Amino acid sequence: MATLAAEQPVEPPRVRGFDFVPGGLLGLTIFATGAVLVLVSIVLWLSFTEGTPGDPVLVYTLDHYRAMFGDGFTYRVLWNTVLFSAVTTTTAFALALPMAWLMERTDFPGKPIVFTMMTLALLIPSFAVSLGWVFLLHPKIGLINQGLMHVFNLENAPFDVSNIFSMGVIEGMNLTPLAFIMTAVVLRSMDPALEEAAAISGAKPWQAVLRVTLRVLMPGLLAAAIYIATIGFAAFDVPAILGLTRRIFTFSTYVFWVLTPSEGAPEYGNVATLSVIMVVLAAFLSWAYRRAQRQAPKYAVVTGKAYRPRISKLGKWRSLAILFVVGYFIVSQLLPLIMLAWASLLPYLQTPSLQALESITTRNFVNLPKELVWRAGTNTAILMVLVPTITLILSVAVSWVVLRTKIKGRGWFDFLAFLPLAIPAIVFSVAALLLALFVLRRYIPIYGTIWILVLVYSVARLSYGTRMTNSALIQIHPELEESAKVCGASTGNILRRILLPLMGPSLAYAWIWIALLTYRELTLPVVISTSSNLPFSYLVWGFVQASAYGSASAAALLMLCLMLPFLLLYWFVARRAGMIAPR
Amino acid sequence: MIGIRNLTMTYRTAHGEHQAVKGVSVDIPDGQFYTLLGPSGCGKTTILRCVAGLEQPDGGEIIIGGRTVFSSEKGIWVPPHDRNIGMVFQSYAIWPHMTVFENVAFPLRHKKPKPNRAEIKDRVAKALALVHLAGLEDRPAPYLSGGQQQRLALARALVSEPRVLLLDEPLSNLDAKLREEMRFEIRQVTERLGVTTLFVTHEQIEALTMSDVMAVMNDGLIIQQGAPAEIYAKPTGAFVADFIGRSNFLAGKITAVSGTNGSSVASVATPIGALNARTDGKSKIGDSVTIAIRPENVVLVSPSAPADANEFAGTVDAVVYVGNLLDCVIAVGSEKVKLQLQPSAAVDRGATVRLSFPLEHCLALPQ
Ligand SMILES: Nc1ncnc2c1ncn2[C@@H]1O[C@H](COP(=O)(O)OP(=O)(O)OP(=O)(O)O)[C@@H](O)[C@H]1O
Ligand SMILES: [Mg+2]
Repeated sequence: MATLAAEQPVEPPRVRGFDFVPGGLLGLTIFATGAVLVLVSIVLWLSFTEGTPGDPVLVYTLDHYRAMFGDGFTYRVLWNTVLFSAVTTTTAFALALPMAWLMERTDFPGKPIVFTMMTLALLIPSFAVSLGWVFLLHPKIGLINQGLMHVFNLENAPFDVSNIFSMGVIEGMNLTPLAFIMTAVVLRSMDPALEEAAAISGAKPWQAVLRVTLRVLMPGLLAAAIYIATIGFAAFDVPAILGLTRRIFTFSTYVFWVLTPSEGAPEYGNVATLSVIMVVLAAFLSWAYRRAQRQAPKYAVVTGKAYRPRISKLGKWRSLAILFVVGYFIVSQLLPLIMLAWASLLPYLQTPSLQALESITTRNFVNLPKELVWRAGTNTAILMVLVPTITLILSVAVSWVVLRTKIKGRGWFDFLAFLPLAIPAIVFSVAALLLALFVLRRYIPIYGTIWILVLVYSVARLSYGTRMTNSALIQIHPELEESAKVCGASTGNILRRILLPLMGPSLAYAWIWIALLTYRELTLPVVISTSSNLPFSYLVWGFVQASAYGSASAAALLMLCLMLPFLLLYWFVARRAGMIAPR
Repeated sequence: MIGIRNLTMTYRTAHGEHQAVKGVSVDIPDGQFYTLLGPSGCGKTTILRCVAGLEQPDGGEIIIGGRTVFSSEKGIWVPPHDRNIGMVFQSYAIWPHMTVFENVAFPLRHKKPKPNRAEIKDRVAKALALVHLAGLEDRPAPYLSGGQQQRLALARALVSEPRVLLLDEPLSNLDAKLREEMRFEIRQVTERLGVTTLFVTHEQIEALTMSDVMAVMNDGLIIQQGAPAEIYAKPTGAFVADFIGRSNFLAGKITAVSGTNGSSVASVATPIGALNARTDGKSKIGDSVTIAIRPENVVLVSPSAPADANEFAGTVDAVVYVGNLLDCVIAVGSEKVKLQLQPSAAVDRGATVRLSFPLEHCLALPQ
């Protein structure tokens, strides 16, 4: 329309036809937030009904809740989940806090490298790392256990990788990069003069840290800790790969377990009920997070000056500090991944030795089912293109409606778009399954197609996407659009010529970030994938479930190698967007 | 007292090195209020932070109350918490997680020997009363106004009765009216306690009104130090003459020198003609100098009066009314001369006038 108006300047702009772009954006917003609402509702609905859904007579009942709350095992799982989450958070912060302090407050050498490594470590699929830990610590095939048993003539394996504590530590090491980045931001926000004033007042350095620095940072650190605990609460990869075979459950894996019984049909009502319990608990954690986050700025002392903290000289502690940071990367990432590579090259797992070296073979790779690998690769590629694109289109629409219109109820759109952050991935997965099986059924047959994955991935990333587009849009002064409007530009033109170009760098960064998360995602497809629409991560998962560890490690390694160019691309984009940077 | 000998300090960052202090010596006797004044980035804060022990200097010596707290030669380094000083930061650095009382009590709780509870309470109350904050003990610190936070920072710096007080632009975050009030208040409090004070500012009005002795700094060096009146009246260089107040500058060469040391008079050839000016007595014929004269000291004389030395004709270039004064710019030859007049003086743009540069106000500064 706008181009028409431009070609026929005789026509005054006011007479232009109806501008359907705002309506389109509103439609997209309703679709996106509606999908969130539908997915949550269906779980809730099924938890209160009896019988196989789709039956002509539906009975509303509290039986599932009675069953779940009457079962002692539910409490056991709950306790496990709490413990797992607590160990995860403690481990992540025990490692992240000193590292963030080293980066922000000392003359630690090579800070940019550490920041880059941390950001990349965030993206390494945690199921691949977990698989590496299986090869290190499994009671029967774990290298460290076997080695120690051999050397000390032990009867039993000294380490148990499948207990809640070890799983929590491993998850904690996986989440350390995230905790690190959040902590560094908090540290950076503090006026260093607060600490200096304590020193002037006669407080020794440790007293100043204890009585001033930590206290001032507490609200911010607390918010970060709750955030990590929420992720630990919903984590699937680590407890699934390490704990499932030994029937040691957290909530995520328990939901999966109940959904895939070894015999008989799954009790969908119980699955839905467990999901509801999980959502309620996760929602509580998210509420606590939002609360803590709102408390944090209370202590922020704004002076308008860029803070230039005193950089402590490490001196003789320097080598110890380097050892700590390098040690973290080696133990938490490098060692498991090397084990993964090692395992993928052997017909069966053996301790590294010359003899073992001779039995090295590419059999695990050659024997991978080619056709399935090809299909998984294609599916993953399709997802990596479609998911970020759709997520960002929906996010831009939601942000525009929420921030740039005066529509009633736009606060609800914002809330619903934020909701996926609080919903554990496994619940999304379950909800999508229930939706496809019992509601859409034959009317819109998406079960077994790539579209069900596209839908659930995009909706699950909506909270991340809208947070990014919101902050990008907020930074664009409304007058830039208003001046275009005064010139007679339509909403579509404003969007295309002004908003999207200005949001460009943020959108590019968010796009590639979502694409990489899509690549490494295991929890979302685990319930809804079939052999026809499986992504690559699900292929690895299938091998793990079948205890085909050789094939699993080969597939995981292949996946890691294919990821490298994307990581490189991400690194370039992120560096240009200024997202990877020490002070 | 505070003694600083030959202090040097270099910042080393990833982007290179920067020498912020290039050899500064200062002596502040007990009870004196000493001000460091200079443009932004000249190294004032750095010197203060070196005295506090928040930065480690490269070289020199720092003595606080007879005790050497830093000496590069003797390898002495006393950490900040052992220096027994009080300091007010530019951002106040009020601890937001504590009440007013806890903020002020903090230094007492870390003092050796630690006073007992009753004494702490008593001394906090006294310190708060000193800065007119009595009664606000239980208020959470973030709920104070800017001026109150400033007073709180002062109370906290003074409560443990330190030998020296360091102030880093404590007034720069306040609005103009409050700033004026606090100038007097700070001066009053330090005088009453007799505490030796090192004050840092880039506002000349603060330096001139508050200090016993002030030093003008530029680029890591002290250019001139002395009493405020002396610095204003007798700047020893063009930088000080320009930085403190305003000045007209005329470049020239000395053609003749007469008179005795200390009060000698030089004849200087300038672009507008020969001009007599006072010199320090070390200047010789042929030296290049800059003649400085403040706008308020240039006088308009009647055009009909007989011509005298140091008088020049010019045309009025601009007149700006600024309330209590008229700011004029007069073109004399190729030079523009700034000049301040009473509002009653009738001058019009384009009028021809006659200017006099009184000898006692013309300073020939070596270049
Ligand atoms: N931590 C630091 N790292 C590197 N350079 C620094 C650091 N702190 C100060 N500088 C540099 O040292 C010089 C002196 O800084 P200083 O803070 O002492 O200036 P100042 O005189 O207090 O200025 P202002 O009036 O703006 O506060 C400046 O050029 C500044 O850029
Ligand atoms: Mg400063």
